Amino acid sequence: MSLDTPAAAPAPSDTDPLLDSLTAVFRRVLELAEVPADGNFFLLGGDSLVATRVLSAVARTHGVELTFDEFLVDPTPAGLAARVAAATAVAGAR
Amino acid sequence: MSKNGGVDQAGSDLFDAFADTALRWPERVAVESPGSTLSYRQLALSASRLAAALGDRPGPVAVSAGHAPETVVALLGVLAAGGTYVPLDPAFPLERQRRMVAAARCTALVGAAGQAAALGLAHVEPVGELPHPDGELPAAVAVGPEDPAYLLFTSGSTGQPKPVLTPRRAVSAVVGSLRGLFGVGPADRVLQFASLNWDTCFEEILPALTSGARLVFDPEAHSASFPRLLRAVERRGVTVLDLPTAFWHELVLHLAEDGPDAELPSCLRLVVIGGEAADPARLADWSRLADSARIRLLNTYGCTETTLITHAVDLLGPDTPEPGRPWDAAERAPIGRALPHVEELVTAEGELLIGGPALASGYPGLPETTAERFVERAGRRWFRTGDRVSRAPDGVLAHRGRIDHEVKIRGIRVDPAEVETALGAHPRVGLAAVTATTLAGRTALVAYVVPRPRGDGEAPPTTEELLRHLREFLPEHLVPSRLTVVPDLARTTGGKIDRAASHRLYGSTSTSTSTTTSTTTSTSTAVLS
Repeated sequence: MSLDTPAAAPAPSDTDPLLDSLTAVFRRVLELAEVPADGNFFLLGGDSLVATRVLSAVARTHGVELTFDEFLVDPTPAGLAARVAAATAVAGAR
Repeated sequence: MSKNGGVDQAGSDLFDAFADTALRWPERVAVESPGSTLSYRQLALSASRLAAALGDRPGPVAVSAGHAPETVVALLGVLAAGGTYVPLDPAFPLERQRRMVAAARCTALVGAAGQAAALGLAHVEPVGELPHPDGELPAAVAVGPEDPAYLLFTSGSTGQPKPVLTPRRAVSAVVGSLRGLFGVGPADRVLQFASLNWDTCFEEILPALTSGARLVFDPEAHSASFPRLLRAVERRGVTVLDLPTAFWHELVLHLAEDGPDAELPSCLRLVVIGGEAADPARLADWSRLADSARIRLLNTYGCTETTLITHAVDLLGPDTPEPGRPWDAAERAPIGRALPHVEELVTAEGELLIGGPALASGYPGLPETTAERFVERAGRRWFRTGDRVSRAPDGVLAHRGRIDHEVKIRGIRVDPAEVETALGAHPRVGLAAVTATTLAGRTALVAYVVPRPRGDGEAPPTTEELLRHLREFLPEHLVPSRLTVVPDLARTTGGKIDRAASHRLYGSTSTSTSTTTSTTTSTSTAVLS
């Protein structure tokens, strides 16, 4: 349960740091060496219990407190990135 | 009102205990939710309204059970009518729900008309908040201690849901013990966290509503977001939290990341955990939180067949011999000592047997299974828990493993044979082995499947196909997190399928892949939960 990046080296395949950061969260929480940007959390072995770790990491790193229902809409690194970006934009606009 | 005895008398009925509480504190808030509050009087009247709609002694009544005050009204209404409460999760596969209501012999459902129609049951409208609560509380139906209170399902090896019937005397006895164990009183606010489809929710509801405390519903409790949960606890002044141990582990991980000065809600005085062994590393983390020393951390143990909780012990906090002592991460947590109503016996093999008033009536319709687990010894009835225990000199029991293959997934007991039977029902499955392992830091089910040999070159089933098949028949917690199609299973020297050895053989080859392709020559894995 290390909070650091897993031993397998991250592969920043593109230039989106938010997506890279969320992909890293999926990899760490699911203990998988690779997670594609469109990898479904539940098809990758996640459940409501380990989803709490994703939501905690997102709250801590990005300051966005998503709920499980919000996460369920598109439970992929890309889907989560879009939701975090939208929430951050709303918060920034206030 | 108390024709069946008073609150504090041994043998008093649980519904009378609630009704007496409602007479004593009619204006106190019994149930709080974001949309409404129900006073004890309103709750009692709502329950009576539903009981009248059900009629006297309605038998087993299915209740569509969600996190809403209506479900508590339905529970009390069914009990007031002298019926048997049968919770039914509307999220379960319809086929599973059909089998459950058939096994329980339900004739009516309290819930949505559509669900009742789909199951072929008479529909009874749920009762929520009454707009103008008035009138006298009608007397509840006279009941006997052996009359059933509720019927729940546990995992069984046959592939069919296994019903457990719990009589009113069992619930009454346990709830009396739990009021004392939790020290719950009118000043308490108890969060409703557990699913209303498992017995843990009765630990929250019944001690609270028979002592004048407030039961609190808040959707943030189910948001899977700890900051939201903790703020909801603070905002609603929750004093008692009852959490599955697996979920508490996650909460502690979250708090430990905030450091030793992480603040816990100031109103919280008691955290009850149960469902599986508490992880010593998380106990150590919790004990290092500066704010945790003032909160009781109470470990609990029990089986559905022995009604809610039979054993408990304060692991950390003010009620331990050394409050504030740090937990040693190498020290395994005990399960607890027997509650006042519990009789216990440890066999020569180390198996824990439970006796006394909290024993379930048995598994209705399954006399052989009932005779296997409910045994006679010296003229008395005992339940074989299947748990191996050892006893410390102070009477506290420690868990030493299972005598069978049952496992706990998110605190829910699972017989791997039930999942294997469901897999075997697929026409192209030859053999299946299911076991539990640690995946991503929690206990999860893994399945290994050997396709049925076919001479016509037909492709073996894919993992997605098999998982889809399982989801049609099984609830979430019985669907493996990982399923692998393999060429053969490991066997014991006696020729029996060896679940653990099969996992050792194939488990490591599939941990790093998440692909769902399948060929006849290689193993394939899909992960799903």
